[in-house]
Amino acid sequence: MTSAALFATSAALGLLVLLGGAYGVLYALGAARSSPSLTGAGYACYAGQLLLVLVVCLGSPLASLWKLFMAVSGVVYGFIPPATWRLLDSIHHNQLQ
Amino acid sequence: MYRSQKLALRYFIAAITLFGVMIAAGLLSALYYIDPALLYNVFDFQMAKILHIDTLIIWLLMGFIGAVYWFLPKELGREVVGIWVAELLFYVFCSAVAVVAVVFVVVQYGGSNEFSMWFINQGRKYVEAPRWAAVGVVAVVLTFVFNVTATAWQARRITGVLGVLILDLVPLAVLYLDAFPKITNMSHDLYWWWWLVHMWVEATWEVLIGCLMAWSLMELMGTSRRIVETWLYIEVMLVLGTGILGLGHHYFWIGTPQYWLSIGGFFSALEPLPLLGMVVHAVYDAGTHHMKTTNRPAFYWVLAEAFGNFIGAGVFGFMMTLPQINLYSHGTQWTVSHGHFAFWGAYACGVIAIMYLVLQRTRSAEHFDSRAWKWGFGLLNLGLVGMVGGLLIAGITQAIYERAEGGSTLQAFVAASEHPWFRSAMYARFIFGIVFALGYFALVYDLLAIGRRAAVAAPTQAAPA
Repeated sequence: MTSAALFATSAALGLLVLLGGAYGVLYALGAARSSPSLTGAGYACYAGQLLLVLVVCLGSPLASLWKLFMAVSGVVYGFIPPATWRLLDSIHHNQLQ
Repeated sequence: MYRSQKLALRYFIAAITLFGVMIAAGLLSALYYIDPALLYNVFDFQMAKILHIDTLIIWLLMGFIGAVYWFLPKELGREVVGIWVAELLFYVFCSAVAVVAVVFVVVQYGGSNEFSMWFINQGRKYVEAPRWAAVGVVAVVLTFVFNVTATAWQARRITGVLGVLILDLVPLAVLYLDAFPKITNMSHDLYWWWWLVHMWVEATWEVLIGCLMAWSLMELMGTSRRIVETWLYIEVMLVLGTGILGLGHHYFWIGTPQYWLSIGGFFSALEPLPLLGMVVHAVYDAGTHHMKTTNRPAFYWVLAEAFGNFIGAGVFGFMMTLPQINLYSHGTQWTVSHGHFAFWGAYACGVIAIMYLVLQRTRSAEHFDSRAWKWGFGLLNLGLVGMVGGLLIAGITQAIYERAEGGSTLQAFVAASEHPWFRSAMYARFIFGIVFALGYFALVYDLLAIGRRAAVAAPTQAAPA
């Protein structure tokens, strides 16, 4: 791996998780405040994350299996915030009843 | 107040004192990178580093133990069984830490013989304490495990959080025994040594802080037991599922079979996923309570724990965990950067949050707020982010110039260490280290002062029988 590829790949991987986190936070804030704009911003971050997955898969020197892993985990990231929110909400509501 | 809660306060005082020693040793360690000849042959870098990383482990461990001694009697409604042994061992623990620190500072090192291992330095990173002290740590931890399990047994009651905690304490105690074998083959030795370091930090400690955060959330926000326990089970399953085999991401350059690199890369790449869930949980809890709380410092430190853990362990970890990157980043300042952020986010913020929570109870303050905690919070987090930023730049410089371009030769190591990016980053690390130290003083001042005025006005809490 060249030093430029090392730096670019690593920065892309870090940014990828950061965008996943931003998606989680904005989605949750949007749901908490019933704000479609915050939820929309969350989805925009997720779209950015998917775009970055594409860039990593097409442009990085990672081995094929790791690229497959990145593609699958990119999809999984999409489910985590809504699934977590629904789970927390259902536990909370069951508790209140 | 129960006796075990008074013991918890003593543990917190010891923990915060050692936190200060850790910072002082860290600042000194940072200075060697600016002036490598500093205190040459008087007090070398490795001794400052040993003090820095060993006090890190001990202060957090004392914080955890104190937190459990605080929450346990509340959870079970009774005094901790065998509390007098725990009280006695607290003083033994503190004395042992002091003696070991004096030996590290004054004697420093000895020859390659049994005497050195037993009385000066055991020689394994993070568990350098000489063997007599390591035996003492085992005694303290076993007493702690006994206190917790015997109290649950006597109370004839087990809660979800307590059950997880008891199950977690078994591997936590057993894994420390890994510090003892005398293995002469270095690959074998490092293979098992990582079991202790990794399984503590990325498995058993994660579960332990999860239990402590569960109790804290119930107290801080009144979150129902059912919510925290359900979430705790999911979290523990995910953290252990990804964390245990993530062990392989440490097995670089030590002679372990190659398959470990892929196993470690795969499972550690999954580690950010539960952390993302935790961040959503933090926002959910904050949103449910509309950011309103009677203890703002504890609340903000809990939030810092969730976000710091995600960024430090998740983002910084994922940047370098895939084997093709890890080959270059492993053992550089890049790893140090990740380690600093992850320890801070995952554990230090949590322990500080619990300290504030406990102080609100002991000082009977209805509303816990001050100006000083904001200074402590701001300076500590700013200092930490600045330090890890500096270390990240230094580490990337090493990965590029020493590893990718220089081919990991000694000459390349020296060249990377003299590179302007590396040197500037080390200056930045030291400057932000001072900011961090200022934050520590603000934190200590606040811990001493916060809520005292309210305590005078409010009636003192009745002690349970």
